[in-house]
Amino acid sequence: MNEMLFIHNEVVPAMIRGVWMSIRLIVPSAIFGLIIGIITGTLRVYGHTFLKSAANIYVTIFRGFPLLIQLYLWYFGLARFGVYFAPYTAAVIGFSLCSGAYHSEYIRGALLSIKNGQMLGAQSLGFSKAQALFSIILPQAVRRALPGCGNELIYLIKYSSLAYMVTCIELTGEAKILASLYFKYTEMFFIAGAIYLVLVSIATWLLNSMENRLTVPGFEPPRT
Amino acid sequence: MPENTPVVKAVNIKKRFGDKEILKGISFELYRGEIKAIIGPSGGGKSTLLHCINFLTRYDKGRIWLNGTEINDTDKRELCTYRQKVGMIFQDFNLFDHLNALQNVQIGLVRVKKIPKSEAKERAIAELVRVGLKEHLEKYPAELSGGQKQRVSIARALAMDPEVMLLDEPTSALDPELIGEVHTVIQDLAAGGMTMMLVTHEIGFAGSLASEIMFMDEGVILEKGPPRKILSEATCERTRDFCDKIIHIHHKDI
Repeated sequence: MNEMLFIHNEVVPAMIRGVWMSIRLIVPSAIFGLIIGIITGTLRVYGHTFLKSAANIYVTIFRGFPLLIQLYLWYFGLARFGVYFAPYTAAVIGFSLCSGAYHSEYIRGALLSIKNGQMLGAQSLGFSKAQALFSIILPQAVRRALPGCGNELIYLIKYSSLAYMVTCIELTGEAKILASLYFKYTEMFFIAGAIYLVLVSIATWLLNSMENRLTVPGFEPPRT
Repeated sequence: MPENTPVVKAVNIKKRFGDKEILKGISFELYRGEIKAIIGPSGGGKSTLLHCINFLTRYDKGRIWLNGTEINDTDKRELCTYRQKVGMIFQDFNLFDHLNALQNVQIGLVRVKKIPKSEAKERAIAELVRVGLKEHLEKYPAELSGGQKQRVSIARALAMDPEVMLLDEPTSALDPELIGEVHTVIQDLAAGGMTMMLVTHEIGFAGSLASEIMFMDEGVILEKGPPRKILSEATCERTRDFCDKIIHIHHKDI
C-alpha cells in the first residue's frame, strides 16, 4: 500500500511534470533545428563564398563541441559576459543549434544527390536560381533527407535529457531527484527510460506517416 | 518589328572548357517559322551551342539578339524573361521528379508567369492533350515511358508560349520504338509554324523537317545549306563522310 501511495503521490506527478517539460524542450528545438538545418545546409551547397564559409564554420563548431559543453557555455559561460539565459532558454538554444548542425549535413547530402538537370530544367523555363531552389530542388531534397532528419529527431528526444545539467528539470531531472530522495535509482531510471522509449516510438510513428504522405513514385523512402 | 528581323541572332559565340575550345566563333540567324537542324559528330559542340543560346552555359565571347534586342546576360531578370521565350528540350528530359505530369507543366505558369492556379491548370491540361497525354496527367516521371516524358517536357516548354524552341537531341535517350511518337509531336509543332533549332542524329528526320541543315564539327559550322544539298551533295569531305556513315546505319529512315 505504501508503494501505491508513493507512486500515486510522488512518481506520477513528477513524471507528468517531467514529460511535459521534456516535450516543451523537444518540440521547439526540433522545429528550430530543422529550420536552421535547411537554411545552413542550403547555404553550404548554394551559398556565395562568405555565407558558405560562415555556415561551414557554424557546423564545424556545433558538431565539434560536445553538446553538454555547449549547454554549459550558453548557461554558465555567457553569464560572465552579462548574458543570462533561463535554464529552459539556454537548453532550447543549445539543442536547436546543435540539432541544426546535424540536420544541415543531411540536407547538404540530399541537395548534392539532386541532379543538375533539375536546375537546368527550371532555369530553361525562366525560373531564377532562388525560385528553382525553393520550388524544385528543396522539395526533392527534403524528401531525400527525411530519413536522416528523422534519425536526428530521435537523437534529440534522448539528448534533451542533458537539459537537467543546466538545471532545467525535465524527465531525467525529475527521475534523478526522486531516485536520490528515496534511494530508488533502479525503479526511477527504469521508468524514465521506458517513457523515453514511448516518446521515441510516437516520434517514429509520426515520421513514418509523414514519409508516407510525402512519398511520390520515384521518391520511395529507403526502408527494408 | 520588321519582318526581316531574325527571332534569334547569334554572332561569334566562343566557349572553351579548360584547354579545349568547344565553340570557335559560331554565328547564325534564325528567322520566324524557320527550322534549322544541326548535325555532326559527338563532341563537336552542338549541345554546348544550344545551351549557350539559352545561357544555361555561359559563353566566353559573342552576342545574342532576340527579335532585334541584344540580351544583356548580366541582368538576371532579363535573362529569366528571355528564357521564357526560348523553350528548351533536353536529351534526358529534366522533368521535375517530385511533380506529376500536370504539375510539371503547371509550375512554370504559376511560379514564373504568375498565372492563377486554376487558369494554369487548364492551360497545362490543354498542352498535355495537345501532345497526346490526356490519359497520363496524374502520372509521375518515374511512371512514364521515355517518349511520354519527352512529350511532357515539350508540353511544359510550350505552355510558356516560347517564340523559339531549342531541341537538344530530343530522341537520343529513347528506345527506337518510342522515337516516332516524339517525332510526330515535333512535326505538329513545325506544321504550326514554330521556329526551331534542332540538334539530332536522326538525319532522315532532320532532312524531312528542316529548311536548313548545319554540319558542325570541332566547334565550327563546316557547311550549311538546304537538306538535299547537305545530305547528298555536300561539298565538304567531312560532311560527306559523316552523312554516309549515318545514312548507312539508318538507311531505313532515308
